[in-house]
Amino acid sequence: MSAQATGIHHTSYAAELALRHTPAEKLRLALLIALLLGLPWCLNGYWLGIVNGIVLSAIGAVGLNLLVGFTGQISLGHGGFLAVGAFTSALLTTRAGWPLPASAGAATLLSAALGAFVGLPALRLEGVYLAIATLASQQIIEFVICRWSWLTGGQGFLDVPRLALFGERASRGSFERGWYWLLLSVAVPAVLAARNLFRSALGRSLMAVRDHDVAAASIGIDVGRAKLTAFALSSGYAGLVGALTAAYAEVVSWERFTLDTSIQYLGMIIVGGLGSVAGSIYGAVFIGLLPPLLAELAALAPGSGARLSAQLPALQLGAFGLAIVLFLLCEPRGIDQLWRRAKDYFGFWPFRY
Amino acid sequence: MTVDRTRIPSDSSPQRLACAALLLLAACTRQREQEPPAQAPEIVIGVLADLTGPTSDVGRLYHEGMLACIDDLNARGGIQHRRLRALSDDYGYKVPVAEEKYKKYVQSAAVAVQGWGTGDSEALRRKVAGDELPFMSASYAEVLTDPQQSPYNFVVAATYSDQIRIALDQIAAADPGAQVAVFHHDSPFGNAPIADGKQWIASRGYQLGYQDYAMRSGATDFVASLQRAQAQGAKYLIVQNVASPAATLARDIAAQKLDMKVVCLNWCSDELFIQLAGAAAEGAWMVQPFAPPSVPKPGHAPVRQYLAAKGLDLDAQGVHFVQGWYTMQVMASGLEQALAGGELTGKSLRSALEHMAPVDTGGVIGSVRFSPQSHRGASSAGVYVVQNGKLVERNAPAAPRS
Repeated sequence: MSAQATGIHHTSYAAELALRHTPAEKLRLALLIALLLGLPWCLNGYWLGIVNGIVLSAIGAVGLNLLVGFTGQISLGHGGFLAVGAFTSALLTTRAGWPLPASAGAATLLSAALGAFVGLPALRLEGVYLAIATLASQQIIEFVICRWSWLTGGQGFLDVPRLALFGERASRGSFERGWYWLLLSVAVPAVLAARNLFRSALGRSLMAVRDHDVAAASIGIDVGRAKLTAFALSSGYAGLVGALTAAYAEVVSWERFTLDTSIQYLGMIIVGGLGSVAGSIYGAVFIGLLPPLLAELAALAPGSGARLSAQLPALQLGAFGLAIVLFLLCEPRGIDQLWRRAKDYFGFWPFRY
Repeated sequence: MTVDRTRIPSDSSPQRLACAALLLLAACTRQREQEPPAQAPEIVIGVLADLTGPTSDVGRLYHEGMLACIDDLNARGGIQHRRLRALSDDYGYKVPVAEEKYKKYVQSAAVAVQGWGTGDSEALRRKVAGDELPFMSASYAEVLTDPQQSPYNFVVAATYSDQIRIALDQIAAADPGAQVAVFHHDSPFGNAPIADGKQWIASRGYQLGYQDYAMRSGATDFVASLQRAQAQGAKYLIVQNVASPAATLARDIAAQKLDMKVVCLNWCSDELFIQLAGAAAEGAWMVQPFAPPSVPKPGHAPVRQYLAAKGLDLDAQGVHFVQGWYTMQVMASGLEQALAGGELTGKSLRSALEHMAPVDTGGVIGSVRFSPQSHRGASSAGVYVVQNGKLVERNAPAAPRS
């Protein structure tokens, strides 16, 4: 049971539909906005680069959570859809000369369509069988992008020219900051869309399928359609991230979209909180900050610094695994639940519940 | 995977709350600067290495050679009295990690970056062009030699394509009508020289047969592919892969008693291949742009001297150590030239590398020379043959026949 603020009444339907009602919620929103607006002014290029990576993975994690956390369909193929988005967008930009918004839009749509196709086995399969089916899709996509020489003109990678805004190309100094604003302007609507989806009939039907598909069918939900919609939405988000990654990294190659990537995204939503939009973001922040913060710690460690640095990749991998195991054991609902509990603690104080 | 919505969370313990608070603090507070700003007299170079990833067996040696060269240069007073500082990072052969480390180098005002593999070289190619940072690596892909496509990449040794051309020249000279099978790593790195090899046969009018076979990553044997190569009638197997799969291939050939000769291109032309393949390595040809320590060249002397002072032996370190050393040496020559010309920036370093006099490597890579039209430093490679577990020179370093 969570703490509910009392004494809130609405005088219009619009007010009731608002995402935030209490002053505390509005204050937190204001703080968050201030943080997001202030970040580029107090971080250097290196840390802003890491933040940009986190913003990108946050969009992807929200997408995967739509499928895994909200609809209950496991997927090991998220990395593959990122690849589809990245290659589609890069090809449309470089060979057909499309501007980024158009090519990213097309990449999103194509990934969504492919996602729905790959989701077809979900109509018949569940659990570990579905996991293997999606793993197959990941492998097939990897195989295709590795082998289809037309994609990259036989080079094995695709160049994407540095993004020019109003004819201006970002220089070394302003590159990360420019991208931060661009990525944020995509991430905010994407996250809000996901947040609102689960206040709509479609979103609730997805959750009904997750909780009990037979019960969902008995109240008139088309289970197959709901599952495919979830696959399409999730892959669409992945395609969007892929397209943005292609433009941000300025090069697309298969190495970025391996099974490792899919596992990392799963790790994000497990750590952040399955079935929570905010949790996906917490997970992306946690998994994104873990390796660089560990590197900082290793550099700070007195004396044994060099030895620690030498083992850093192993430590980072170990910490990733440990974080997932600890969260699964201690708090399966992730950071999001920790945050709720923290709020409840203060909400109920001085009572325990 | 469903989430149990009915479970009421257990009561919140202070430790967990503290954890959450710490996490938030970590996420929100401003991080300290990654590296202190470089002191004016130091020359900062970013060095990416694979010390723990799939290519760490050779990556570690290459990296050690590179750091040894920097150490040696510093011991001699640096370049124009400015010390070199290497920011070296293990990226485990993961492209996103390489990109993250690269951002750190940019932030730390590095003037050049030494990369490692095909993946990171390709991923960072556009970045270094945008940020104007000269970049060298141990990836010898053809695309990196073209300043139109890769304006800030420099390739110090013969490309994979040149290596396969040299291998084909040698095979055609030894056995003009032979069937050649190209066994390659199943990736852009492995695929890189295949089409160029085919074109070379056509343009030179060789009568060689030519067929390529992908080597699956992690395969424990290549018997099935070898049977296909046998059906082709292959006498020569050019291998574009790293040492351990190449050694597996050589052992399979020996076990099947096939009449095939392994011709390694540079990533399996090393002591590691000989060690892993054992007796099966005997007689294999190796196309290697860098002279191995077992074939003494004047250029080995400073490396040997440096190692001897540390109580180490160059023969034990092997050819990849030399490769790392001389890649850094070429970069150092560029730095020297740029500093002599005035201000040291990425741009001035690029121009210095393009216009400097050929770098004499004492016969290790021949002479390395770049120009504004071509960043192909050298195109010659020696051909060695394995005899009694040692690399012995078969043909002195030569470029593909023109």
